Amino acid sequence: MNYHLPALLFLLPLFAAIAMPVVCLKHREWSRPISLAVLSAMVVVSVLNLNSVIQYGEVRYAFSGWAPPLGIEWVADGLASVVLVALSLLGLLSLIFAGPTAPKDLGGRVVHFYVLILLLVAALTGIAFAGDLFNLFVFLEVAAIASYGLVGVAGGPALFAAFRYLLLGTLGASLYLLGVSYFYAASGTLNMADMAEQLPHLLTSKAVVGGLLFMFIGLGIKMALVPFHVWLPDAYTHAPESVSPILAALVTKVALLGWIRIIYWVLGAQVIIHDIPVLLLMGVLGTLAAVIGAVLALMARRIKMMFAYGGISHIGIILIGVTQGNKTGFAGGVFYLLNDAVMQAALFFLAGVAICQYGVRTVEDLGHIGKQVPWLTVALIVIALGMIGLPPTGGFFGKWYIILGALEAQNYVAVAAVLLSTLLTLAYFVKVFEAMFRQRPPRSDVLQSELPFSCKLSLGVTTASIVLLGLFSDPIVQWLLTQALPPTL
Amino acid sequence: MVDAVLVLFQRPNFLTFVIIFLWGFYIMLTRYNLVKKLVGMYLVQTSVIFFLVSISAKKGATVPVLLTTTDPVQAADYVNPLPHVLTLTAIVVGVATLGVALALCAAIYRKYGSLDEEEILRKLQ
Repeated sequence: MNYHLPALLFLLPLFAAIAMPVVCLKHREWSRPISLAVLSAMVVVSVLNLNSVIQYGEVRYAFSGWAPPLGIEWVADGLASVVLVALSLLGLLSLIFAGPTAPKDLGGRVVHFYVLILLLVAALTGIAFAGDLFNLFVFLEVAAIASYGLVGVAGGPALFAAFRYLLLGTLGASLYLLGVSYFYAASGTLNMADMAEQLPHLLTSKAVVGGLLFMFIGLGIKMALVPFHVWLPDAYTHAPESVSPILAALVTKVALLGWIRIIYWVLGAQVIIHDIPVLLLMGVLGTLAAVIGAVLALMARRIKMMFAYGGISHIGIILIGVTQGNKTGFAGGVFYLLNDAVMQAALFFLAGVAICQYGVRTVEDLGHIGKQVPWLTVALIVIALGMIGLPPTGGFFGKWYIILGALEAQNYVAVAAVLLSTLLTLAYFVKVFEAMFRQRPPRSDVLQSELPFSCKLSLGVTTASIVLLGLFSDPIVQWLLTQALPPTL
Repeated sequence: MVDAVLVLFQRPNFLTFVIIFLWGFYIMLTRYNLVKKLVGMYLVQTSVIFFLVSISAKKGATVPVLLTTTDPVQAADYVNPLPHVLTLTAIVVGVATLGVALALCAAIYRKYGSLDEEEILRKLQ
């Protein structure tokens, strides 16, 4: 039974997504309980899967019993399993959050929304587990198509943002596929483990170098790494409030996870091509992303735009962590990835509450909410502590281990970049607090209504887990150091 | 220099792939009409599929169904089916993306009454 858990984890949301349009054709109100039930089941199964991976080691799942180099293989190791737990929990919380907001901001397309969310969750599960480069491409595209649909589902200005996202996303996917076909032409295999054995002899081949470059640019677009990030702020800003938390929390991070798989599990950590250490190159791009993203966030006026740029800068910080080429940096990067997923979800829950309940879209207008809603302010303070990286939040410990890793690798530029990005994050949250605490008269168009319980629940749980991840950071990082490291590190 | 050009023409399929890819990319960058952008996007996707097919072409080989059951199998006699399967999947993915893109285009046209990027941006302001 334990052997089949990864496949079950994927099939649950997939079948629900396929069945839902049929089931909910006449009973639209069933769509929400069904998706909540499926996501809750996913949480249970992903915890069981993590437990079985901890107890019995990694699971290599061969679909239909075809042995790996020929068949499609899934790898449920420590890294994928722990990401899956975070993924299903955050998916469930986003659905809980979307309950009261969805009918308002989706314009009646509630069933579409739930179908696409389930499809997105299924595809992200596939990306996390994929042990095969082409399989990774297929799930990247399924996730991307679901996200285009989710961004554009409500219509309005989001349509154009979704269209631009689609153009860039498809370009990225084509480049990734091109890279995969180069790798296939050079090595004759698509299975990651099999390719890892073939590649060491092929590293001087131009096909491998070119393929690596194309794959990296393709996945760079998907994870919104800085020169390729232009689609993300618009898409997340205009996306409906019920949609943006799940997109911001999961999509870019899981694409980054796919890249981590390729760089560590396929290429090996210390790979040097034509005298250029690949990891160092990625580290430089991460450094740029960490700083530039934070600068752009400082300049943004809309709340969601600011948080989206914050997410872009955090992708850079994660990339800095995982590219230091040592265990501390890698574990710190993965820990920060989990943290960042939680923090982004919490930030966009907050932005969603501000927009849906109080009609506040820009940072300056936050003063209109101000003191009337003290617990919203508390949530914002906790999330800000996490984003800036102050103890006792998880953000602090993530950055701490990343900096330790960079010091171990004697990469002082990366340390400086993390610190600079931290300062810039502090600066833009100071801007938020300054706006929040400035006394302003309550505006007539600012709605004053009691928050639904589900919004409070999802925001409360994510805020609490930012602190909990900090309090339990030591056992988590120790576990990552023993269970989730790539074999080549 | 001449050598480099000759090397280029030894692989006409690679050259074709590069031309189609860059052509599509150019259309995506320069056209303002959204549907024309999609044409460019589809050319990019098709060029990658063309590349996959062309690297797996094999002279003098037959379909991958074993001709005999007794002799040891000669891999050189059969076409590798895997790249073609990949191509098929990539085509399906491409068609799905194009479908979503056209649906978005139609919705944009209904909302803004135009497919011209500049005009839509003007109306968005």
